[in-house]
Amino acid sequence: MPPAPSGRVSDYAGLLSPAERARLEARLAEGERATGAQVVIAIFSSLEGESLEDFSIRLAERWRIGRRGLDDGVIVLVFVRERRLRLEVGYGLEAVIPDAVAGRIVREVIAPRFREGRWAAGLEAAAWALYERIAAAGRAGPPGRPRSGPPPGPGAGAGLSLVGLLVVLLLVALATWSGAAGVRRARRRRWAYVAGPTGWTVPVGPAWGAGWGWPGGAGGGDGGFAGAGGAFGGGGASGEW
Amino acid sequence: MGQALMGRRAIVAVVGLGLLVLVGAWAVSVANALVRLEQDVHEAWAQVQNVYQRRADLIPNLVETVRGFAAHERAVLEEVTRARAAATGVQLGPDALADPRAVERFLQAQRELSSALGRLLVVVERYPELRSSQNFLALQTQLEGTENRIAVERRRYNEAVRAYNTRLRVLPGAVVARVLGFQPKAFFEATPDAATPPRVKF
Repeated sequence: MPPAPSGRVSDYAGLLSPAERARLEARLAEGERATGAQVVIAIFSSLEGESLEDFSIRLAERWRIGRRGLDDGVIVLVFVRERRLRLEVGYGLEAVIPDAVAGRIVREVIAPRFREGRWAAGLEAAAWALYERIAAAGRAGPPGRPRSGPPPGPGAGAGLSLVGLLVVLLLVALATWSGAAGVRRARRRRWAYVAGPTGWTVPVGPAWGAGWGWPGGAGGGDGGFAGAGGAFGGGGASGEW
Repeated sequence: MGQALMGRRAIVAVVGLGLLVLVGAWAVSVANALVRLEQDVHEAWAQVQNVYQRRADLIPNLVETVRGFAAHERAVLEEVTRARAAATGVQLGPDALADPRAVERFLQAQRELSSALGRLLVVVERYPELRSSQNFLALQTQLEGTENRIAVERRRYNEAVRAYNTRLRVLPGAVVARVLGFQPKAFFEATPDAATPPRVKF
C-alpha cells in the first residue's frame, strides 16, 4: 500500500510515457481548479492476490482524496496484470456519480480504449467524463452530502474536546501553581498532551501514541498536490478490459 | 517552630488537594474519551443501518424486474420479499449495541435476506433475456455496490467497537468506565457470508 501521493497520476507500473503523464496531470489539475473535486489515477502492475474492492477502499482511506467534509474525491485504480480496474467514488460524489454511472464509465469509456492499448487515451477520457458530470452537478446546485453521519476520524467533536482540554488545563495549572515546586518539572514533562482521534487525552498508560493525523488542506508536496481529507464508503464500480 | 509546622501542614494539604484535582481531571478526560469513542461507534452503526436500508430499498424494484421475465418463479420471489420484510422489521437502536443477542438477531435477519437474494440470482441465470436487460444490469451494479458498502461499513463499525471496547477495558480507565456504567459493544462477527460478500456475478 503506497503512501499518499504528491501528484495526481501515480504510475507504479510504468504504463505511461512522461509526456502522457504530464498531460493527464494537467488535465486533472484543471478539473480540480474548475470544480474543487479531486480525481486521481493510480496504476499498479498487479493486485498480488488481493481483493480489488478491499485494496481500493484501503487505498482510499490512506490517500484521503477529496476535501474533508465534502468528500468529493475519485480514485481511478488500474491493475495491469489482472486487467482489472475500479472507480472508487467518495461519499460526497455518490449522488453525482452513482455506481451505475461509474460502471458505464468503466465499461464504455475506459475498457474499449484499454483493449487497444491506448492507456493514456482511456484515462484522459475517464477524467473528462468524471469532471464533466461533477461540473454539471455543480451548475445544477450546490453539492449535497448524501451521507447522514459526519466523517469518521479526528475532527468530530472538536468543540467538546476543546472544552475538556480547557477544564483539564485549568485544573493542571491550579495544581502546579499551588506550590508543589519540587515535582513541577517532572510533572510538566509527563503531562504532555497528545492530540488524537479521541480528542485530547492525558497520556496515561496505553493512551500514549494515540496521536495521529493528516494535513487538513490541499497543497504542499513537490507536485503541489495532496489529498485533502475526503472520506470514502465503498461507492463506485469495478470492471475489466 | 509552630509556624514551620503550620507551613508544612499547609503544603501537605495543598499537595493533597492538588492530587485530588489531578485524579478528578484524569477521570474527566477518560470519561470524555469514552463518550467520544462511543459516539464513533454510534455513527458507524448509523452508517451500517444506512447501507442495509439501501439494499432493502433496491429489492422491490429487483423483484418486479425479475417477475417481468420470470413470473412463475413465485417461490423464490416471495421468499426474497418475505426475507426483506423480516430484515427491515428487526431494528436495532444504538442502546441495543451492548446486547450481543440483539445484534445477532439483526445480523441473522440480514443473513437470511442475503441468502434469499443469492438464490434469486441463481434463478436469474436461467433467463438470458433478463440478465441482459438494461434495467436488470443497472440493478445488478447497484446491488454489487451496496454489498461492497455493507462490507466497508461493517468493517468500520467493528474498528470503532474495537477502539471503544479496548479503552473500556484497560486499567486504570476501566475503573472510571465501570463507575459511569459504560458497556462494551458487540462486534459484527465475521460470518462466512460477511467475510466474502456475495458477488453478483454472471
